[in-house]
Amino acid sequence: MIRFLLRTSVLMLLAGAASGCTDFIEPNQLAFVMGTAVDHADDGEIEVSHQIVIPTQKSGPFGGSGDSDSFVVMSAKGKNVFEAIHKVQKKMTRRLMPSHRQLIAISEQYFQKDDVSTLFDKLNRDPANNLRDITVLVKGDLAKNFLLLDHPMEHLSSIATGKEMEINGMNRFSTRQFIIDSLSEGTRPLVPVLQIEQVKVRSKETGPIAALSGFAALNKKLKIAGFLNDAEGAGAVWMSGKGTFHAITLPWKNGKDTLSFRLTHLRRRIDSADDHDPQRIVLTVMAQAYLLENTTSLDLSETHYMLEVQKYMNDKIREDLQLTMDKVQEWGSDVFGIGEYLHRSSPYWWKSQKDDWDHKFKALDVTVRSNVQLRSVGASGTSFN
Amino acid sequence: MGAVSQSAEINEAYLRAQFQRCSDFVLRSFTLRDETRLMLVYLDGMIRSESVEDNFLKPLLFDGLPQGIDRISSLVEMFRREWLPLTSIKTEDSLDGLVTCVLQGCLGILVDGEASALVAQVQGYEKRGIEEPQKESTLRGSKEGFVEHLRTNTSLIRRRIVHPQLKMESYTVGKYTQTEVVLSYMQGIADEQVLSVVRDKLDKIDTDGVIDSAYIEEWLENNSFSIFPQVQNTERPDVVVASLLEGKVALIANGTPSVLILPITLWSGLQSADDYFERFVFVLLIRTIRYIMTFISFALPAIYVALSTFHPEMIPSYLMISIATARESSPFPTVVEVFLMMFIFDGLQEAGVHLPNQLGPVVSIIGALVIGQAAVEAGIISTPIIIVISLTGVATYTIPRYSATLPFRLIRYLLLFVTGMLGFVGFAFGIIFLLIHLVMLESFGTPYLSPVAPFDGKRIKDILIRYPFALKSGRNKKGMGR
Repeated sequence: MIRFLLRTSVLMLLAGAASGCTDFIEPNQLAFVMGTAVDHADDGEIEVSHQIVIPTQKSGPFGGSGDSDSFVVMSAKGKNVFEAIHKVQKKMTRRLMPSHRQLIAISEQYFQKDDVSTLFDKLNRDPANNLRDITVLVKGDLAKNFLLLDHPMEHLSSIATGKEMEINGMNRFSTRQFIIDSLSEGTRPLVPVLQIEQVKVRSKETGPIAALSGFAALNKKLKIAGFLNDAEGAGAVWMSGKGTFHAITLPWKNGKDTLSFRLTHLRRRIDSADDHDPQRIVLTVMAQAYLLENTTSLDLSETHYMLEVQKYMNDKIREDLQLTMDKVQEWGSDVFGIGEYLHRSSPYWWKSQKDDWDHKFKALDVTVRSNVQLRSVGASGTSFN
Repeated sequence: MGAVSQSAEINEAYLRAQFQRCSDFVLRSFTLRDETRLMLVYLDGMIRSESVEDNFLKPLLFDGLPQGIDRISSLVEMFRREWLPLTSIKTEDSLDGLVTCVLQGCLGILVDGEASALVAQVQGYEKRGIEEPQKESTLRGSKEGFVEHLRTNTSLIRRRIVHPQLKMESYTVGKYTQTEVVLSYMQGIADEQVLSVVRDKLDKIDTDGVIDSAYIEEWLENNSFSIFPQVQNTERPDVVVASLLEGKVALIANGTPSVLILPITLWSGLQSADDYFERFVFVLLIRTIRYIMTFISFALPAIYVALSTFHPEMIPSYLMISIATARESSPFPTVVEVFLMMFIFDGLQEAGVHLPNQLGPVVSIIGALVIGQAAVEAGIISTPIIIVISLTGVATYTIPRYSATLPFRLIRYLLLFVTGMLGFVGFAFGIIFLLIHLVMLESFGTPYLSPVAPFDGKRIKDILIRYPFALKSGRNKKGMGR
């Protein structure tokens, strides 16, 4: 029996080899898609653009040459994502390979005029996608224009943005997270917002660079509820439990001097108020703070100053975050996942509330508390002045 | 022809007939002072002539037969009284036996009128001195290696195990070569079952000649078609001694410096003598590296092909684009390219083995420059493949025993073949077939993968960690057997 099986399998293998029956694709038959942009087009169509690496350069797309031709952007319009991608494929000599995509950029216009959730059937449910890419919103311009940009360091704007997000501790904004947030009833997605700015990168050269300029809070229908600027956005990220580290600069009481801290081990906790009333929520943010810059005359090696600074810092953080919280609450977009918490802590109450959560979230009484430990005041001691 | 005749003429005629046209055969007869006619037979170059002259000829020729308390009438009697100053001497009654002894390098002494011959062990042929083993060198530990001379080899072992339980059973194998093979084991430690199997098989060997212990190896193996060796060979006495103490059995054949050890497992091929000479924490590191390298040595080309041409989404993005960039101008499919490079690498290696020493650098230059550099610059072969193949080649030689590397070199091709067609599915197929074969394989009753499969918690320690000697729990009395 074993002998028979062995012979059969060997024969089958040989038959496969003899007939050239393999399905490998050489890397030089592939077009690596590093970024995809989705834009609104007229007549109910969408425009999909792919940023594709050109691997022919001898030095490689990530090193050296400095030329801007390390990628191409191919785009096409279609009634749905597949049709558009298929049209792109028709113009290509190589098979599109979306598994290495770093980023999906969707324009603000598309968010406003079309239904974003229809994109994800092809863009993300398709097993050829890895879902580790980031979904971003491009504000004030076409997403395609973002892909067309050059980056002085990384050549490819999609790679640049991906690295920018990662290096700044915001690695929980993958498309996967976006889909989870958009499908769950008690959380709304928080999408990073990119804006194209003119930056002087060299003495003679001013070029457009896409920079992270805050976050967009979406509502249940994935429409933009409102934009948060950079500082508010960072606070919202912290409160939604998606941040890892953060830096803040606070004016000291005299209004002139400043203190800068690096916050690590960012965490948050959601509790109902003491009487377990689901309408009254306490959101506590926690972190460890490290003093990095101190222009005040306080000598923080003295314990009482240190405690004073810690208390002051917590007060300030609480104030700022409460403002952000109130702002977001006004929009009715629960990006913090408070609904998810209530779903778990008061399931029966939640059942009656979950329809039209966006509206009910507005009426919720959310208090922000801050519990930041000042762990280190650095070795600088008292300042010189 | 039967017994030694009393007549010197008949004996001489028989011997001359047997050794007809043998230019190295010497038959010398002379007469002593008391008219006794002696005949010496030997093969030129096989005996120590000084010893014969000093201990035998001079006393007899100058003094005649010693006349002591009573008259001695025959040489045999003299021998019985131990008056000959030679360490090893015996009588031989049959002429055929005498011929065999002479062929082995003994001195035959025949006396006219006596119906038996004396055979003196005065072998003294040229042999190689003990040198450091070339194939299995270690940094620390004994620098002695086995040589071609059987008794030198047994003495190398005997010197290390000073105990009468070390047994050395002698067998003669080969119709023409009459090779002496010594079966060595520790009585009481070695598995009796293994011993009887080996004895049986040694008796059954039917061959014209044993040129190397490899000839015996093939006769001993149960599964001749397996790509894995079921007998280990070594040139190091310390390895043999360690194996004997573990309860294994050694076979030493005359004329070859490689001694066979059995039974073995897959792991014994991956262990080096140095593992036991260095500090155990370091050995942990080294062995981990060695096992990973062993995996690389047979799997890396296949994994590379599977990843880069079947599942490019599994490679990190930046690495994939680097690979794609490097492969941009390659005219061949990756599988073909990898196969070509493996073929060339093995070809170079084979050439290196056979090259005369003076020509060695030529092959290195051709290999490194022409194939390595020129092929890449011409865009025929891509750089990642050069890296993969050279890493594979280097990894092969982290396996300490040459004969243990051979199966892996073979598997490399088979895996590449199935992977080239089916991707990781094919790779999985290949690995499964390999594992099925390995768990079914046995070396003299010991499962080839033991103590991993079947699992033995106590002995598995030695596979990766090599505990400090003081912590090792007792000797494993049954050897590597079940």
